[in-house]
Amino acid sequence: MRSWVSLFIVGLVVALASCSVQRGLAVEYQDASAQILVADQSLRVAFNSSLDAEQSGANVSALLVRLSDAGSILRRAEAALVAGNYSDALNLAETCKSLADGVRTDASALKSDAVASAGNWWMTVALSVASSVVFVVALFFVWGRFKRRYLKRLLRSRPEVTG
Amino acid sequence: MWSLNNWKTVFAAVGLIGVLVFCLPSVSLFVRDPAGERFSELYVLGPTHMAEGYPFNVSDGSNYLVYLGVGNHLGNSAFYEVQVKLRNSEDPLPNSTSAVASSLPVLYTYRVFLGDGQVWEDGLSFSLHVGFLGNMSGVVGATFNGVSVDVGKFAAWDSVNNGYFYELFMELWLMNTTYNAFSFDSRFVGFWLNVTAVS
Repeated sequence: MRSWVSLFIVGLVVALASCSVQRGLAVEYQDASAQILVADQSLRVAFNSSLDAEQSGANVSALLVRLSDAGSILRRAEAALVAGNYSDALNLAETCKSLADGVRTDASALKSDAVASAGNWWMTVALSVASSVVFVVALFFVWGRFKRRYLKRLLRSRPEVTG
Repeated sequence: MWSLNNWKTVFAAVGLIGVLVFCLPSVSLFVRDPAGERFSELYVLGPTHMAEGYPFNVSDGSNYLVYLGVGNHLGNSAFYEVQVKLRNSEDPLPNSTSAVASSLPVLYTYRVFLGDGQVWEDGLSFSLHVGFLGNMSGVVGATFNGVSVDVGKFAAWDSVNNGYFYELFMELWLMNTTYNAFSFDSRFVGFWLNVTAVS
């Protein structure tokens, strides 16, 4: 009778332990897959920010390289999830998210710079107009002097009778 | 000797050219190059980076290599997904005309970020895990770039062409920033595979 009770207790402990491990794995899977979704969303937001910056006139080629790196890391996270390496998947997804967030921040800064420098367009126009006016005035001055010298030379020249 | 009128013409021309040169920076702020045709490209090349030598007779567990490429000619940066799918001859292809993608499950995905005018190319190494029963074959699983996935796709023996045929194809999806979602870009490429028990 005592041996049956012992066997029952051992069986119960093993079943509880197995349930606990399975539940732990399920929780790890859920955490990792949720983090992958979050990272994927961060990647999209980061791309939208860099596109905004580009449309404001910023050069975003360096940001695209960083986004590609983040995309590769996300792909590795997804592979780790499929392979059952949940902690790796979670870590990689977090790395991807942090890279994407960094790109988003830098894209916002680049956009601000681009907007600020685009606001200086009137300076370019003013410089163009001013330099054109100075050039035309200078050319009129040179033309006036040239004309006087030309006419002087014409008046000084004497007609010669030949034959 | 040139007449005064000739010199006047020369001075006027110099003045005009000078004004144009000084105005060039301002003009470039407002005038943009005319945009050409905007499109994306998707291609698949064989193992020698040429449009030849694509894998055809594939056996269980053997590795094969092709190269995928995407080109961005949209006039701005783009975020693409290349989705790899497998179909048998009964499954419908994506519809390029109505921009409807295949409803088959995605087996592998590439995420690609490209600036305008840039081209991306990467290898796709794959192997299929196949089984046979009677006149049926089944691709139970596959490995893409070292990542194993379940497939569960079956094909009957094709007595006309003598083989079990599957098509590995790739769809190009483009991020639509308005909806923050990918949409099928009406482009896909693929190649047929004849699965065999041994190579």
